[in-house]
Amino acid sequence: MSREQYQVPTGSGSPTIGTGSFSAPTARDYTGDVGGVMYYMCGDCAVRVPLEKGAPIRCQKCGARVLYKERTKRMVQFEAR
Amino acid sequence: MPHKPPTKEELERRKIVGIRDETITDVSCSDFPGHYPGEDHSWDIDAFRRGFSVEFHQNDRFEASFSLIGCDASIANAFRRIMIADIPTLAIENVFINNNTSVIQDEVLAHRLGLIPFQGGHEGLHKFLKWWRKPTDEAQMNNSYYDFNTVSLKLEVQCEHNDKAAAGETDPTKLYHHAHVYARDIEFCPVGRQDRYFSGADAIAPVNPDILIAKLRPGQEISLSMHMHKGVGSDHAKFSPVATASYRLMPVIDITRPILGDDAEKFARCFPRGVIELEKVTKKEAGQKGSGYEGHAGELKAVVADPMRDTVSRECLRHDEFKDKVKLGRRRDHFIYLVESTGQWESDAIFIEAVAHLKKRALDLEKQVKNMVR
Repeated sequence: MSREQYQVPTGSGSPTIGTGSFSAPTARDYTGDVGGVMYYMCGDCAVRVPLEKGAPIRCQKCGARVLYKERTKRMVQFEAR
Repeated sequence: MPHKPPTKEELERRKIVGIRDETITDVSCSDFPGHYPGEDHSWDIDAFRRGFSVEFHQNDRFEASFSLIGCDASIANAFRRIMIADIPTLAIENVFINNNTSVIQDEVLAHRLGLIPFQGGHEGLHKFLKWWRKPTDEAQMNNSYYDFNTVSLKLEVQCEHNDKAAAGETDPTKLYHHAHVYARDIEFCPVGRQDRYFSGADAIAPVNPDILIAKLRPGQEISLSMHMHKGVGSDHAKFSPVATASYRLMPVIDITRPILGDDAEKFARCFPRGVIELEKVTKKEAGQKGSGYEGHAGELKAVVADPMRDTVSRECLRHDEFKDKVKLGRRRDHFIYLVESTGQWESDAIFIEAVAHLKKRALDLEKQVKNMVR
């Protein structure tokens, strides 16, 4: 049932892409997330909306159809300049 | 005809830059060999020592004012430039953002963090901490951070509703916890030997704890860690130890003919407060023939009290009544410095460090020249 997870491109062109969701090492940490459920932010009420594959893009709470992607969980490095 | 040595007045006059209502005169110095026939102006260390002096006017932690008297503009300017661009300080250089859901963008936030001045134990900052060099091999990056070249900081703030806020409260700082993120929220994470140098009052901390970094609303979060490195102002202004380091020349106000009565009061108003004082003409002065005070005993006259406070606005030169009565100028070899420290260095130590830096540079140059001639 689980959706194929997104693979972070390694740059070396390793053949791990598409080898299944559980065998490949994951760079993203979705602990607590059920497999296949993605979280989005509602554009209207800012609530965290879980969406499954194929589900209508709609906030369960207020019914708004504008959902935003969550920010990356990965560390981002910046030069303080 | 044998050459007459210059009088004291003549020597004094040579040092003055004339300031007229529309022009500036005698901008360049003239004390170099061959300018005055029969006079030796070749540079001499003993003559320099005799003429040179340093005078402190103010010496606080954040601000120092002092005069260098009897040195050339090239040296004075070198000190100023070294203070701004070549004295090393510690500042945030890399920001590793784990989460930032505030309205302020990551790169802007990183830039703001970089500009915050930090303080810490002087021994640790100036002796223990060394330069961090970016390794040429990117793979060696994680092997380049040591306790003696990197200081680690972190900032973890989450904004939440304040349940205890009074009903009808509109002030965000009372309505929410951590609505404002301040510099004091930055946490120092000592590693290795840093505990020895930066503990207690010597801990690495922002000089001004009330610097506002970002504003948050409930649900927003900032979670990041930072690396500080040593750097110099020529690389980035955040590394400059001074807010300002500047100098000006000592103003000279020469009242050539007496300014009396109402004119004296008007004259005093042409200058900043304290520059010109009013004094009564004494009987002795009034009795002196040719002094210009005859018959004015008891009247007020203008005298120069503190020319250093003058801004040389030339306001007095706009009025006809002071025509030919006053000469304005500046002393070419009297530099009044104003050094404003950002807090990592003591303001007077910045200048002393600048002198040491120039000396070191000169010795380096000497070595190079010697190698070149060999």
